[in-house]
Amino acid sequence: MLAGFRAIANGLRTTLMMLKEPRDTIPYPEKRREYSPRFRGKHMLAQDEDGHELCVGCGLCEAVCPAHAIRVVAAGADGDRPVSWTERYAVDYEVDLIRCIFCGMCEEACPTNAVRLTPFNELAAYSRLDMVADKDELLAPPIRK
Amino acid sequence: MTQLTIDGRTISVPEGTMVVDAAAKLGIDIPIYCYHQSLGPLGACRICLVEIEKMPKLQTACTTAVREGMVVRTGGPAVEKGRQGILEFLLINHPLDCPVCDKGGECFLQDYSFWYGAGKNRFEESKIQRRKDYPVSSYILLDQERCVLCQRCIRFMGEYVGEEQLMLEGRGVHTVVSTVEGQPATSPYAGNVIDLCPVGALLSEPYHFKARPWNIEREETLCSVCPVGCASLVTGRDGRAVRLEGRPQPELNDYGFLCDHGRFTYDYTYHPRRLTAAELDGAPQSPSAVIAAVGERLARAVAEAGPESVGVLTGGTHTVEEEWALARFAQDVVGTSRLGLVKPVAGDLPLALLGTFGDLAAATGVLLLGVDPYEAVPVVHLKLREARRAHPVAVWGLGDRTLTRATLPGDDYVVEPGRVAAALGAVLGGGDLDERWQALAEGLLTTERLVVLWDGADPGAAAALAQLAARRAGPTAVLPTHGPRNWLGAVRAGIPADDAAARGILEDAAEGRLSALILLGADPIRDFPDGDLAARALERVPSVYFMGAFAPEPRHALAAILPTAVWAEVTGTYANMEGRLQVAHGAAAAPGPARPVRPLVTALARAFGRPLRLGDDFDPFADQDGDRIARPPASQVPEDPAAPAPLRIREGEWALITGEVVAVSHPPSEIAERSRDRFPLRLNPADADRLGLRPEGGLVEVSQAERRFVAGARRDARIPEGRVFVPRGLPEVPVNRLDRGAGVRVALADRVPEGVAAQ
Repeated sequence: MLAGFRAIANGLRTTLMMLKEPRDTIPYPEKRREYSPRFRGKHMLAQDEDGHELCVGCGLCEAVCPAHAIRVVAAGADGDRPVSWTERYAVDYEVDLIRCIFCGMCEEACPTNAVRLTPFNELAAYSRLDMVADKDELLAPPIRK
Repeated sequence: MTQLTIDGRTISVPEGTMVVDAAAKLGIDIPIYCYHQSLGPLGACRICLVEIEKMPKLQTACTTAVREGMVVRTGGPAVEKGRQGILEFLLINHPLDCPVCDKGGECFLQDYSFWYGAGKNRFEESKIQRRKDYPVSSYILLDQERCVLCQRCIRFMGEYVGEEQLMLEGRGVHTVVSTVEGQPATSPYAGNVIDLCPVGALLSEPYHFKARPWNIEREETLCSVCPVGCASLVTGRDGRAVRLEGRPQPELNDYGFLCDHGRFTYDYTYHPRRLTAAELDGAPQSPSAVIAAVGERLARAVAEAGPESVGVLTGGTHTVEEEWALARFAQDVVGTSRLGLVKPVAGDLPLALLGTFGDLAAATGVLLLGVDPYEAVPVVHLKLREARRAHPVAVWGLGDRTLTRATLPGDDYVVEPGRVAAALGAVLGGGDLDERWQALAEGLLTTERLVVLWDGADPGAAAALAQLAARRAGPTAVLPTHGPRNWLGAVRAGIPADDAAARGILEDAAEGRLSALILLGADPIRDFPDGDLAARALERVPSVYFMGAFAPEPRHALAAILPTAVWAEVTGTYANMEGRLQVAHGAAAAPGPARPVRPLVTALARAFGRPLRLGDDFDPFADQDGDRIARPPASQVPEDPAAPAPLRIREGEWALITGEVVAVSHPPSEIAERSRDRFPLRLNPADADRLGLRPEGGLVEVSQAERRFVAGARRDARIPEGRVFVPRGLPEVPVNRLDRGAGVRVALADRVPEGVAAQ
């Protein structure tokens, strides 16, 4: 019988030793890991301090995107009420997050530093259509809790 | 021929060729901004520097003519350093706004900067700021900051078109392109400067910010607006045509210039009036339900009254393949021989006389028979000017108004309305001619190579033209300038295009001998020369079935409507006014249930109960003379016209004259609306003064018997006194429903009719 207890203690030795070690897992979603600022997650469209969009709808991100995940439709704004910092702006800006491979080429190609990849990576939705991020969604970047 | 060596390869080119063109023949690309073959050398931009042996410095390839034994190097360190330096100068004041510039991605300044540029700018001072995005015409935006002062636009407007509406202003670094006296450019050729501009300085306003070269479909097409059928490129974005550009065809010596009426009317493919729903008896239905009902009703009509009780008329705007499908449906399924084409004029040209634009370029004499090419077929006017630049061309105008103009000077012979054929016959008949007319007779008979531009309005002129061709020693070519766009394509498809065929069908219809009439894109009331006959016909026929893009009025006369796909949405063959067959590709999607004619016709045949198998056995290009339609010798010599009835114009009445004006007859377009002529009617200034017409133009009432129409009119010294010019197809004044043998009354009007903007 003693031999039996010894065998169990022996078998659990590693487990019992690990009880006092620091934990490698975290209780997600109550706690989250710190990511590198260079982490490439969901896109955002930046605005300047006056609230003007930086994106001018040039479409270079669309051109460079290897997954054809981006669609840009540009237009000219009224002179009095510009949407972006210049006359031209993007009426539609869509990123299909299912197609996107998060390579970051759009960010690199952007001449106005408007499109940026945030560290936000919690991408889940009930339908494929919900995975297409439109302009309003991209202008209000999600905050990692 | 001169032999020279370029980059180690030898080539022989004609004397006087510029090095840049000789290199292009070898497939060697020399960068150019200011040079254009249509304009000749200038040497303003200096980007085309090349190294030529025995010349101490770099030379501009666009201003250096080839010499025997010349050795040219288009690359190497010296050339690249030279081009890099030039680019650095060009970019000193060029703004870095490529992301917002429409030209981005298709810009030669970008391309050459990638290939030859230094990659950075040593110029640290601030750039000069100038006017950006300001309109120089209804359709063109100018950004002076982006301009590299190549002067292509200025030279094109001044030298090539002959309407100096753009110019250089200021000196040195402050030189800018601007319009003359700040007035907008109004030339119908101004849109070409958008294509000519090598940078993003001159941009299309309707295309502004619309698309990028990488998110569009850009397909080779042909302009669909007039029978010139200019080679062009259509840009499709999200299923819509959003731009039309000229497409040079070096093999046909065509530089790819368009007129603005063609360039800016592509939006008719999504105009609000475009048919996007099938209708049966005035109620919207699914296309399949309409097809089933129409097929069944046609079958019943044929069973009851025989196949000859069905008439089929085409508007001649669809592709050759589609016209052929319609002809098969009419002849093989319905079995009727009542098949015709609605064209706006009554004249029938013997096809054996049909000429080409090549004939036009080589012509020594040109007769404008009733047509002013500037108004009716604008690009032909440019081609005529091009011919005049190469060699002397005598131009004669023979019509009921002045047909030559400052940009195409010549001798005018103005005759009584409706007397064009009679006058031509009299000229050929010799007889008692005064000195002036004698000169015309001599010129027409003795000029080496004669080209006649004929508007087809006077049916008797066909006989006179055949007689003229027979009497002349040299070649005679006739180019018919009337529409519809693809009427010669319909001829290729086997549809009789003579006036008698359509007239016969409409007369039968008006007299109640038809039980059904099928229209493919045809609007007989608007287009047929006798509009009243067409109106009676459409009212009398029990069922009119319409397939097309724009429904003719009155809509209640149509028993069924089936929307069809049109130009830019289907790929197919068109024949232009030379009878030249060319293929146009689609770049847009047909709206809603609109579908191409071929599947529509096969579905109709199935519903009719006699399936039609349209195999691939029809090739428009088969059995043709090159790429032109067959031109059989006339089986019978056209009859000499009966002497025209005398004009019945009473005291105080005006003679009514008409003609094709493409600015009026082009398809409905919201873009072209902005430059619509609010005063399309024209009067002699002396008459206008007597009427008390305001200098800028005003509303007049044109009336005949009980019919009254109101439209804007303006002064035009090219209209003889006592005549009022009404463009054909003008909705406000349907000239084909007035009796042109009788006079009309003209009075000032104060009522503003619908559709005409108030003053």
